[in-house]
Amino acid sequence: MSLIEAWDAASATPFHPFVSKDSQFAVGFNLLMIAIILTGLFGLNRSFLSLASLGVPASVLFGFGAVFTICAVGVYV
Amino acid sequence: MWFFTATVLGLLAPSLAAATNATTPFRVALPSDFKPAQVFKNTNVVRNTNLEKSYARETVNLVIENIDKKPQGDYYVPFPADVFERVGGFEVRDKKAPQQGRFVVTVTEPVASSETQYFIVHFPEPLAPKSQLTLGISYSLLSSLSPLPATINQNEKQYLSYRFSAYVPSAYQTLTQKTKLKLPSTDVPEYTTTEGLKSGADPERKGATYTYGPYDTAKVAPGTELPVSVRYEYTHPVITVNLLERDLEVSHWGGNLATEERYWLRNNASQLTNQFSRVEWTFASYQKAPTCAVRELTYPLLPGSVDPYFIDDIGNVSTSRYRPGTAKTGANLEFKPRYPIFGGWNYSFKLGWNNNLSSFLRKAANADSYVLKVPFIQGPKMAEGVQYEHVVLRVVLPEGAHNVRYEILEGTTSNGLPGQNQINATFSSLKTYMDTLGRTTLTLEVDNVTDEARDSQLIVTYEHTLMDALRKPLTIFGGLLAVFVGIWSVGNLDVSIKKR
Repeated sequence: MSLIEAWDAASATPFHPFVSKDSQFAVGFNLLMIAIILTGLFGLNRSFLSLASLGVPASVLFGFGAVFTICAVGVYV
Repeated sequence: MWFFTATVLGLLAPSLAAATNATTPFRVALPSDFKPAQVFKNTNVVRNTNLEKSYARETVNLVIENIDKKPQGDYYVPFPADVFERVGGFEVRDKKAPQQGRFVVTVTEPVASSETQYFIVHFPEPLAPKSQLTLGISYSLLSSLSPLPATINQNEKQYLSYRFSAYVPSAYQTLTQKTKLKLPSTDVPEYTTTEGLKSGADPERKGATYTYGPYDTAKVAPGTELPVSVRYEYTHPVITVNLLERDLEVSHWGGNLATEERYWLRNNASQLTNQFSRVEWTFASYQKAPTCAVRELTYPLLPGSVDPYFIDDIGNVSTSRYRPGTAKTGANLEFKPRYPIFGGWNYSFKLGWNNNLSSFLRKAANADSYVLKVPFIQGPKMAEGVQYEHVVLRVVLPEGAHNVRYEILEGTTSNGLPGQNQINATFSSLKTYMDTLGRTTLTLEVDNVTDEARDSQLIVTYEHTLMDALRKPLTIFGGLLAVFVGIWSVGNLDVSIKKR
């Protein structure tokens, strides 16, 4: 199949990002804020339980929050 | 449809970027005493030369006949070696069936004895003896128009001179031929006239159209030249882009297609005899008098283009106006260079903008496959035309994209680009923000392009899995988790001073 046929065949499925451009900043900022709060709570009690219950979610939220925030400010990664 | 496809093999290993299926333009080396075999005869040749833009655009329609006893599949089109390097967008089709697409064309190295280079046209099927075929050849000749006089005053009219052979260069015997010149104005102070080649005046003039011929050249040896020249008024800039670097950056996370173009531009019009006068320039601009300086460029952008910027070596250039248009009409970026660009002056600048990716990217039926359709080249749209000596197009795909294939779209008419075998394609990896492996990058390089190629389209397909997409957040996750674990483990160290 030539590539133009592949393009035509996919006409019903345009690409949509996980988070639209308009929402990137709100989503990214909130994820980062929660991550920072969880990091602060982990800092109060640096036990293994805190690491699992606060550190891991904070890392996940920071990872996604950083990606959305950098997109929101115009550096599209 | 003619297409070209290249494949990057799997990106399973992190060193994906090494996977490449690069193509390099290939030139056929010929023996030093090479001359094409006289197996064809041109029954009739009509050449149309359009000089309305700042470069020559030629279409040659010719009826050829196989006069050999065997079927023949290769037809040689000669050019002098110095002209050959400036031929752009060379394309040959069957004039009677243009929808069948362009013929494959290869190019040759110069032949030492004759300083001639050839385009070799390969027919899809060899032409049987005594059969005829009507060919439509189209191409542009960049930097073919020279200002005469070479220097003028700031508000003077400019005249361009075009030299060519009234006999169409051919490797084969031609029975009859003629050349039609379409000039941009009727102010033509000089043109060569011939005598004894045909009955009546030669050239015939009709408004701004000059026709040399028809000539009966059955007894003229192939390759014979009849130099003629024409000098005509053309008070417009001769915009030449020495180098255009165009980057298209695809971001799945951002849902964005970022375009950035870097231009190294030069005006090849008549140079100024005297110093530039700001007063004269202000008067002329106020009156909107014709000038051979670049005053303003208009760049049509696709619908939905946002965040345009116009930057040069100094910084942001504020003399630009962006007209967003509507969803259907598209946008226009009108920008004035920091200074008027007169003949012989250079200007380099950078343009960029963003688009929503959903207009350019579709998800294919196969899981994790995507199809991207983007303009190969855009560029300013000017009545006087723009010629590009070298274009480098980079399509920066998301990190982890693999199984990349591409194709340049062809229609029933010329797309202004040369054949696929004249486009240099390479794959590489580009490391930039938040990248660990680097982004898969397809680079296409092409020489001698004109604004005729503005409508050409490029299709790229690639695969990009969920794990590829999650690489960035997971990398950050891993880094931060390591910090947390480090803090926790350091906090558990017993560093107190006590008896153990």
